[in-house]
Amino acid sequence: MKSEPTRREFLNATARGAGLVALGSTAAYLVIKAGPDGYWQVDPRKCINIRLGAVNVEVCDKCATTCVLPLSAVRAVNEYAKCGRCCICPSYFDVTSEIGRDGLPTRKLCPRDAITREAIGDVDPDDPLNNFYDYHIDEDKCDGCGKCVMACKEPAGLGSLRLEVRHSLCVDCNRCTIATACPDDALVRNTNDLSKMDPHPEEETA
Amino acid sequence: MRIRWILLVLMSLAATAAAASHVLAQYQYQREVDVAPPDEDIGGGYVTPEVQRPAPRAAWWDVVDMAALLVALGLSAWLVLQRRSRNWLIALTVICLVYFGFYREGCVCPIGAIQNVSVALTDPGYAIPLVVIVFFLLPLVLALLFGRVFCGGVCPLGGIQELVLLRPVEVPRRLDGVLGLFRYVYLGLAIWFATRPPVDRDFVICRFDPFVGMFRLAGPADIMIFGGALLILAVFIGRPYCRYLCPYGALLSIFSRVSWRGVTITPDKELDCGLCAEACPYGAIEDMRAKTSGCLFCARCYNWCPRGVVKQEAVKAITTGSSDEAKASA
Repeated sequence: MKSEPTRREFLNATARGAGLVALGSTAAYLVIKAGPDGYWQVDPRKCINIRLGAVNVEVCDKCATTCVLPLSAVRAVNEYAKCGRCCICPSYFDVTSEIGRDGLPTRKLCPRDAITREAIGDVDPDDPLNNFYDYHIDEDKCDGCGKCVMACKEPAGLGSLRLEVRHSLCVDCNRCTIATACPDDALVRNTNDLSKMDPHPEEETA
Repeated sequence: MRIRWILLVLMSLAATAAAASHVLAQYQYQREVDVAPPDEDIGGGYVTPEVQRPAPRAAWWDVVDMAALLVALGLSAWLVLQRRSRNWLIALTVICLVYFGFYREGCVCPIGAIQNVSVALTDPGYAIPLVVIVFFLLPLVLALLFGRVFCGGVCPLGGIQELVLLRPVEVPRRLDGVLGLFRYVYLGLAIWFATRPPVDRDFVICRFDPFVGMFRLAGPADIMIFGGALLILAVFIGRPYCRYLCPYGALLSIFSRVSWRGVTITPDKELDCGLCAEACPYGAIEDMRAKTSGCLFCARCYNWCPRGVVKQEAVKAITTGSSDEAKASA
């Protein structure tokens, strides 16, 4: 007992069909473009704190201040394999501070005291200045302010310190708030592991 | 006299030595640092520690999310249109709130996906993940078929507001209509901000999402306060975010305007008691019929309809086998 479609029903059906076609074509276009779902990472070639060559510039603290988490998901990481194990680490010590009796600067650089210093290997107790030292970052304290990362660069440092998004902490926002704030557009969604990348600026490697 | 001289010389020597020791200390540091020292040079059996890097979420979870969305949408449509049960719908709402809200921490969601899709359509360099495409399109397809199924039992933002709506107050129709226009403005703004060049790009929907901070139990203070205020408001005014702010709600209401099916309060013939219109906290019932563009699939009206109650009892009686009761109540 189906009645004739009214004018309204006919228009609705037409609009519905048009809607379906629009959605279908959008879907087709998007699926062609679709890529794998990446995760937020700091591109070491872009970040001003990490990339080599960016010296005598202001440290950028956007990672520490703009993350949605109370303590940013970006933390400093020491790539031990690249660390010079310096006695006077420019990232551990504030090298502009006064030199104390032990020959070491008297102040530390980290505002949150998140870095610890430990003599390693064959330790010569009589010659503390020529021993090797490991620098460990306490991730529970670090907020990713980038001061130490900026300090470990030429001429004094080897660039072993990086800022990295810790995936155990990152809540994986659709649009990372740090990415929005980052002046270098260094927070990118990528499937490749960028943490292994050399911190040379992108222009050189490209 | 002589002793004085000797003392003076000694003292000045000591002073110089003390001053020099600081300078000397820096020169005692001889090791050149231009490369990282290998383990053998460090000695003492030292092994370079591994850098701990927690792995990101595995890709197959995306498939779980897509499947969960599909099942939840299907269930939401079936519970409202076929089963006509608000209780089961509430159960689904709670499950979706826990999974898409508190467990998945509000990401990925169709509301935010508007921005990803806008970027993908305008920026050729942007690769949009498949899960985002599915989350954006599936609820729209269901809106064309049945209406705002997604809003009903699936959306965690809607769910959290639905569950706190305890003392519904009717919003004057005029005001409701005017406030509802803001969704379209917000939609336009969100698309504009998302399609700007990458450095200036901003996803305002995510940034000003009032409830995502609650799902994550952390967030910027101003947004948390905004969310809290909105949730308090939601105790009295049904789903203020969905009706006046949600840009995806704007899209859904456009699509559901021409939906194929929709909520029918009484399937055969409406009564004119108007109880359903009174029950609807969203002002979505006009002339005893649910407007598909405004109906949020909450299934409240069924419970208020005298015929609906009778019919449900009859169905229950038949399915449980006590036909006498069915006859008595019918």
